Amino acid sequence: MAVINRKVASAAGVATVATLLFSGCAAGSSDAGAGDCSEVTEITWLGTIKVEIQDQFTDAIEFYNENNTDCVAVEILESPQDVPFLQTVTTYYEAGKAPTIMTALQELPDMAPRVLDWSGDPLAELAADGTLDVATIDGKVVGLPITAEAFGLLYNKAVLDAAGVDPASITTRSELADAFDAVAETGVAPVHFSGLWWSLGAHFTNVYHANAADTVEGRLAILDELKAGSKDLSSDPVFENWLETFDLLKENSIDSASIADTDYDLGVENLAVGDAGFWFMGNWAEPNLLTATPDGEFGVMPVPISDEAGTYGNDSISVGVPFYAMIDAEQSTPEQQEAAKAVLSWFLTTPEGQAYWSGPVEEGGMNFIPVYDGFEVTPSTFMAAEIAEYIAAGKTLQWVNSAYPAGLQEAYGAAAQKYYDGVSDRAAFAAELEAAWVQ
Amino acid sequence: MRTRRQEIRRFLVFALVPLAIFTLVLVVPFTRGIYFTFTDWNGFDVTQFVGLDNYIAAFQNEDFWGSMLFTAGYVVASLILVNVVAFGLALLVTIPLRGVNVLRTAFFLPNLIGGVILGLIWQFLFGQALPTIAEATGIPVFAENWLLDTTTAFWAMVIVTVWQMSGYMMIIYVTALMSIEQEALEASLIDGTNGLQRLVFIKLPLMAQAFTISLFLTLRNAFMAFDLNLSLTGGNPYGTTELISLQVFREAFSFGNFSSGQTQAVLMFVVIAIAALAQVAISKRFEVQR
Repeated sequence: MAVINRKVASAAGVATVATLLFSGCAAGSSDAGAGDCSEVTEITWLGTIKVEIQDQFTDAIEFYNENNTDCVAVEILESPQDVPFLQTVTTYYEAGKAPTIMTALQELPDMAPRVLDWSGDPLAELAADGTLDVATIDGKVVGLPITAEAFGLLYNKAVLDAAGVDPASITTRSELADAFDAVAETGVAPVHFSGLWWSLGAHFTNVYHANAADTVEGRLAILDELKAGSKDLSSDPVFENWLETFDLLKENSIDSASIADTDYDLGVENLAVGDAGFWFMGNWAEPNLLTATPDGEFGVMPVPISDEAGTYGNDSISVGVPFYAMIDAEQSTPEQQEAAKAVLSWFLTTPEGQAYWSGPVEEGGMNFIPVYDGFEVTPSTFMAAEIAEYIAAGKTLQWVNSAYPAGLQEAYGAAAQKYYDGVSDRAAFAAELEAAWVQ
Repeated sequence: MRTRRQEIRRFLVFALVPLAIFTLVLVVPFTRGIYFTFTDWNGFDVTQFVGLDNYIAAFQNEDFWGSMLFTAGYVVASLILVNVVAFGLALLVTIPLRGVNVLRTAFFLPNLIGGVILGLIWQFLFGQALPTIAEATGIPVFAENWLLDTTTAFWAMVIVTVWQMSGYMMIIYVTALMSIEQEALEASLIDGTNGLQRLVFIKLPLMAQAFTISLFLTLRNAFMAFDLNLSLTGGNPYGTTELISLQVFREAFSFGNFSSGQTQAVLMFVVIAIAALAQVAISKRFEVQR
């Protein structure tokens, strides 16, 4: 999701129209499937799932088109990364050419009336526990999870080793502060705290919402209170703890961290070369970090916000599904819907498909962390393996931000940037977060 | 009767295709857009009419009017600066000197760069190049990234707009300056005017039409600026530099509020139309008959 929102190049906004035109022209150019098909079902996949693995995705679809026995031909419709999903998709629907397969997260409620119900489908049965919760809208399962992503404090293992810090031993905010001091003594900036709106607005605010209650119902109840305008954030001790942690990260942040757009690359650079020990980000940054420092080891650890060890959430990282696969049921024929299921089934249940889905990027895979039973392929990198351990141990926090209504994370992000910049104080910050819900 | 029929036929032969295109790409979408503002359109389909609810909501929306006010400031600042700079450049390049054609081309060049690329170039300049120069030379003006503060980000947008648009307006002014009849200027010379008097009393009134056109174009462009805003500031910091087009775009596509976004777009059209008509009406008064 972060990656969807990342401002790869703002150019995309204006380029959309052109892209739509061109992708429309390209229709029908894809090769038919295996030779013995009397009729080939042509479907489309609105798929820049993640811009970093676009080449691998294209290769996988090409391989499928040439080798599948389902008599299906898939055409990829590119989705510009900086263009809102609704902008891309409403144009296709308006033209009567809805993509057969689409991937999104916060727009699931908007799409719910138009897409296939996965309830009872064998693939949905294979999905890991809890991964379908967000996609279940009014009893209808509208999407299948693509992968899991995690965010927390990323660390450079070499820097922490030099400072004698063991990330596994940090269980409270004070111990985190001690760790920062230890790193600072080695002459390295403790942390790069990015002021990017999506990092603050979606991910860092999730650290509060995920810690705010220890049950799903409790957390969603807080969202409902905010929606109703009855929640007073300042009186919530978890919120105060969260602000303390916000301040701790801010005070220890490297000079080059700012609310500028170029921040993401600077964060990669600072952590990768060891100019900073920690970086609040997610595992989507691991390929970037390993590109910059191929022999480095980068892990992820929780953001402890409470000062009492053992408090709910202190030892867990935020893990969630960044996007779900939906199948259009409004404009696609039943044959096309079946074909779309066949493609996803190939990816998730066959050895070749799984190799493309979760294999290492260098070998042409998309490095998705699998969230399905019966997966033979496992991701190989340090951080991905660490995340798999957290998942196995049940030390995961909910992505409450998946339940943010469309546009809320932008408003949250703007408010958090003001606090980050020192433009607003705690009271003003809390008021702005509350106001974001009422609009 | 027969001639009238012939006239219509002749008219259609020439106008049918343009008229059809005009209807298809302008009249139909525009009417449909207005229709959507009275419904609960969600980007996909319409389920019911909601009357004036969208308009009432838009009038009560603080973000919308905040952005409208910000846009008005941007329009005024760029309107004045673009035309002052453009007119200054026009005077400069009409001096009979060797090499003025090269200068004209140079001043016009920024206009050939698309808004998005322009935004990215200046993002780099404000973010990295200028702070580095400021550090090296000790000139403090650009030491901080101008795009990170609301006020300086506003002026950053104005600067880039002036840089982009004044070359184009300069061409209009150059044409006007050169089309002034020599007789009028010679007569004034005989009457013993100095350069400033000739500029104020002869040249300016005789080229008032150029001002009407340039002011109109600048006003319209500034009100409808989108790509530059998107690529230069993206509405940041904290969403405080969103011009009206970007605000409308976000309302519809990021927030998924299609009918209210469409309503804001219609209101934006009304505001721009009023501003443009007023400006043209006022400027026309200064024009003189030759």
